Order: sequence, then C-alpha cells, then structure tokens
Amino acid sequence: MTTAVQPTGGSGGGGLERPGGSGLAEVVDSILDKGLVIDAYVRVSLVGIELLTVDARVVVASVDTYLRFAEAANRLDLAETGQSKGLPEFVEGAQEKGAEKKVKGAARGAIDTARETVEGFVERHNGGSRRKSSTHARAEG
Amino acid sequence: MSTEHGWYVYGIVESDVEVLPGNEGVGDPPAPVELIRSGEVAALVSRVDVDKPLGSRADLFAHRDVLDAAAGAVPVLPMRFGAVLSSRTAVVHELLEPHADEFTDALNQLEGETQYVFHARYDESALVHEVLSENPDAMALVEQIRDEPIESTRDTRLQLGELLGTAVEAKRSADTDVVIEAVTPVVAAVSVRPPTHEEDAAHVAMLVDIDNSGELEDLLDSLARSWEGRANARLLGPMAPYDFVTTTQG
Repeated sequence: MTTAVQPTGGSGGGGLERPGGSGLAEVVDSILDKGLVIDAYVRVSLVGIELLTVDARVVVASVDTYLRFAEAANRLDLAETGQSKGLPEFVEGAQEKGAEKKVKGAARGAIDTARETVEGFVERHNGGSRRKSSTHARAEG
Repeated sequence: MSTEHGWYVYGIVESDVEVLPGNEGVGDPPAPVELIRSGEVAALVSRVDVDKPLGSRADLFAHRDVLDAAAGAVPVLPMRFGAVLSSRTAVVHELLEPHADEFTDALNQLEGETQYVFHARYDESALVHEVLSENPDAMALVEQIRDEPIESTRDTRLQLGELLGTAVEAKRSADTDVVIEAVTPVVAAVSVRPPTHEEDAAHVAMLVDIDNSGELEDLLDSLARSWEGRANARLLGPMAPYDFVTTTQG
C-alpha cells in the first residue's frame, strides 16, 4: 500500500497528526505542574517571582458538561441513531470525507527536522550529538 | 537594566554540555541561556529581572523551547516553570552541589530516552452516537427531551448528561488502556495525563528510547487509523521528559 505525503498540521482526516509545534495549552500542560519543584531543593535563596499563569485544568464532570452532552444528544439525528449505527459505519462515513489524510512519511520528516534543529542548541564537549552517541553506543555494545 | 536580578532555572543537565550562543530564555527582553556548572551536573539558566512578573505566552514557550531543544541533544531534568534563584552562587551551593548524586542518577536513567505525548479527542457526534447505541436508557431520555424547551427538561437533561458523561469516562478509561497496551512493547514508561477536555479519548505521556521513536509512531499511527472517524489523535514530541521527572522529597 502506498501513501501520499502531505503536509501535517491540518485537522480532520485519519491517521496520526504530527503538529510541527504545540499550542499554548499543550505547553501549559507540560511545564506548569510537571518537572522538578525548586522549593524541594532550594530553600534559602529562592526568589518569589510573581507568576501570571493560571491553572488551565478543566473540570470534566460538571453541570455544564452534562447539559452540553445532553444538547449534543438532542441535536443528533435520532432516526440514524435508532438504527444502532455501529462503529464500522462511522468509519466508512469518515472515510468518505477522508480527503486530507496525513501520513507517516510527512510525520517522519517532521521528527528529523525537529531533531536537526535541536542539535544546534547544545553540544557535548566530546562533540557527539545525543542521537549519534546513543546509536554509536548501541552499535558497539 | 534593573538592579534586582535573579537566575531563572530551566533544568539540570550533565556538565559536559555546551550551550551554543544565540539562545534566549524567558523575560522581556530575554537574556541568553547559559550554564552554571558544579562537578558533573549543571543548571541551564538565564538572568531575569525579579521585579517583572513571568508567565507571558513568550515566557511559557521559551521555557519549553529551551528544555525541548536541550532534550533533543542530551538528557535533561526539567524544572517546573517559574524557578528563580537569587545568585549564581546559590545555584551551585543550594541546588547543584547538595543534590549532585540524585541529579546524576536521574540523568543517567534518561540517557537515550525521550518523551512523546499522545493526545486523542473524540469526534463529538460519533461519540454520542456510539454511547447512545450502547445505552437504551440514555436513548429513552433523548426521546423525552426531543424538541422540548431546555427550561422544562432541565432535570431530564442533567440525568441524560450524567449518563453520557459517565459512559464517556468509561470509554476514556478503556481507550487509554488500549493506548498503553499498544505502546507497551516499545516504551520504557507511560504516564497518564488528566484529560484537558471532556471529550478527551486518551492523554498519555510516554518515555521511549530514541531509537524506538519510529516504531512508536508506527504503532500509534495504526491506532489512530483504527479510530478514524471516531477520534482524532495527535502525537507531540520528541520533548523533554516533563512527565517522568518528579521530586520525591518534601
């Protein structure tokens, strides 16, 4: 089976999206409540700098959520649902509009590009990049 | 320039690392990213004005960019956003020296590993179809609210919504397990992230050997294709191991 290479980053379609960069929400997910907490390591010389960021966590179970779900159900075409449309039919339905498929080839390209970019950021004294050195070690071992 | 400044700490790396010139960090204007070394470990830092609050969009991206860029080349222990110390000496004597052994251990464990995040969200109408077709009670409630004003059907709507919400949670849990099972052969560790949206299907961080990245992506691509029309999936990374570095003390 052959696949066509198309740019990543769009929406819809099938397969795995490989966005070139992540959005603010995704950045917030990673850096605000994860990672090492400095207070646990440093107590005397901490600087209590004011942080503007807010907790972006959503409350998943709420009255608003329930009303939204109910409205989504209300909007559905009941005749269709009444026939117990199963997943395979959904998949078929989706494939009909699957004109903007994203494929691995493009994604793989994105990975390589990203890594080339980051290799320019830091380097080890011994000159080896991370990928090269790890591959090298594995080849030897 | 302000008289008061501190040292913003992005993360910890091994000390045999060099930061190349031209990289800028948080703050406005941003200062260059540098290294403060102590023995075998070093902190990725940049100078910040302590009178100015941090947390602009640019600051958040800068923090992430510095760590992801570093993680692309060497093992790195990310700090949580917003860590500032008063002086270079403090970075050495309070952060690096006293914790050198644990940092070194953690960095050794991360050698050759990188993080990806798989995030999938249900297609709303496919999701509701799927849940209703499996749940006659919910379907009966839909019939009751059909074409009725919201005001007179609020209780029924809440009941229906709760049924759907519970069903979606169960699906999320099952689909998260599917993701974990799919990637287990190639990952070193997984960490389930809390949903960031009520229609999230799965949100899973994975630590993987850099050499297995392609295989991981193939597995997840197959999974995403099997969910086509039902959920949209994206894979973020490689990135710093945010979800796999934790502070165990205090």
